[in-house]
Amino acid sequence: MPAANQRTSRARWTPFLLLLPFILFLMLFWLIPLVGGVKMSLQANGLGQAEYVGLSHYMALANDERYITALRNSFTYTLASIVVIVPLALWLAHLLRATFRRLRPMLTFALLLPALTPPSVLAVLFLMVFHGKNGLLNQLFVMPLGLERIDWLKDPDFILIGLVLQTAWRWTGFMTFFILAGMEGIPRVFYEAARLATASRWRQFWHVTVPQLRPVLLFVAVYLVVDGFSLFSGAFMLLGGSGGTADAGLLTITYVFQKSRFFEYGTASAISVSLLPLMLLLVWGCLFLRRRTA
Amino acid sequence: MSNCGKNWRGVLSLLLLGPFLLAVLVPFLWMVLGMFKTNTEFFQPMAKAFFPANYDWQNVVELLDGRWVPFWAVFANSLFVSLGQALGAVALSAAAGYAFARFAFYGKRLLFVLTVALILVPRQLFAVPLFSWVNELGLSDSLLGVMLPGVVTGLGVVYFTQVFRQVPREYFQVARVCGAAELRVFLTVLPLVWPALLSYGMIHFILAWHEHLIPMLVLTSETKQTLPLALAKLYDISQRTPQGVQMAASTFAVIPTAVLFALCHRKFKSSLSDMLVH
Repeated sequence: MPAANQRTSRARWTPFLLLLPFILFLMLFWLIPLVGGVKMSLQANGLGQAEYVGLSHYMALANDERYITALRNSFTYTLASIVVIVPLALWLAHLLRATFRRLRPMLTFALLLPALTPPSVLAVLFLMVFHGKNGLLNQLFVMPLGLERIDWLKDPDFILIGLVLQTAWRWTGFMTFFILAGMEGIPRVFYEAARLATASRWRQFWHVTVPQLRPVLLFVAVYLVVDGFSLFSGAFMLLGGSGGTADAGLLTITYVFQKSRFFEYGTASAISVSLLPLMLLLVWGCLFLRRRTA
Repeated sequence: MSNCGKNWRGVLSLLLLGPFLLAVLVPFLWMVLGMFKTNTEFFQPMAKAFFPANYDWQNVVELLDGRWVPFWAVFANSLFVSLGQALGAVALSAAAGYAFARFAFYGKRLLFVLTVALILVPRQLFAVPLFSWVNELGLSDSLLGVMLPGVVTGLGVVYFTQVFRQVPREYFQVARVCGAAELRVFLTVLPLVWPALLSYGMIHFILAWHEHLIPMLVLTSETKQTLPLALAKLYDISQRTPQGVQMAASTFAVIPTAVLFALCHRKFKSSLSDMLVH
């Protein structure tokens, strides 16, 4: 009997033993900086300042027009990139499935190339497309249509569109890959059943493919939200860390870096912390959706 | 469907895919060809001089000789940091994912919520406090200061939780009947899921290879830079680096991740497909 007891007690410790490295690193390199950020947001600006200033950074942000602009731009940018990328990737995955099986891996790889490229390289390639006068977009699409050249990265009406185009260019192929993998995992039986019920291709797509792909689509959306709100992304590279003309392309993450560049660490941290409620809402949403799909 | 109809559908889809493929591939082709061009050639309108007049390797030689940045050192740094991060992330996440998938334990729910929060609140958002903390740990201007924070990942843990849920229950029962201790069971299951280990390692390698912000804050000396930092320096107008050298460096920065993906992509896709069917 004592042997058996020992065994269960050891088994009780096993999960913690396995989790120990993860928990350790989670605390060291995520939780501590996170708490540090919250603390910093309550302290005066400047390097090595520790004077407690309460919520004054947050109060200042509430009246800061640039902060509001950045928040609005980030929402528009993230939402627009999801709206553009998800349907496009679904369509491309569908096309890839319809082409010759032998070409499929090569074509998928080609579409995915931008996602494998460092953002700074992408920004350089993209400047060629968006370049004021001689850029490809102007030369190939805008001018042949008899329209006036668009100065994509300077004209405040077009900066955000340009940024969305570059995210779409970067991520669509990657998301297509995930969706394709998901589609290939859907058991054939489902389609056969749908065909027996004489469902049209379109109805098969909406009633079999899309519901089955729900976990993939959730992943894609979460990935794009994280990339849009908090990564040092292509948008930053493309505008060189500025917000562009009239701040039309100012995103929250860009604003954080503009502030920390001038050692306004308190304000910079306050901006980051102010995004937390939104992200927590998303955490809750994800867990909720996960439970419903499971 | 008849064979003829199938072929027709294949050709039509290929035609519809065409514009997208061009939109992706033309800029990359332009980049690769750019490394052979002189500055004057480079700045001519694209349609006029898409291909270089002659294929001169001068720019590549200049880059590899380290005239502009210590290229080999930088490349090795990137490789070291990304490989270390990928290996660490796989080890940490696989162990944690196994625990989540196989055991009921105290605080499991809280820890899982934290893991999902870790995905949505990436460490980049708190780069400045992270940077000052890394300094306090005595890791400033060290490659370890970039590698270690990059080892913890929420995405990896969620992925492996899903992966280990799929291993058939019978397998664990057999292992237990054979008298293997729980940790031994974990180690014996690992070879079963090697495509998943490889796949996640690859994805994490790619993310680490692209990481710009944290290296920028942590690494200060020139010989310790990683590729994205060196690229940013080459692109900087004030450095007057020839465009051809810039394009050569860009091409070399894409090659490792592209090759890695090309090698693993089949395994990765099938492991994803298996997982997504639950």
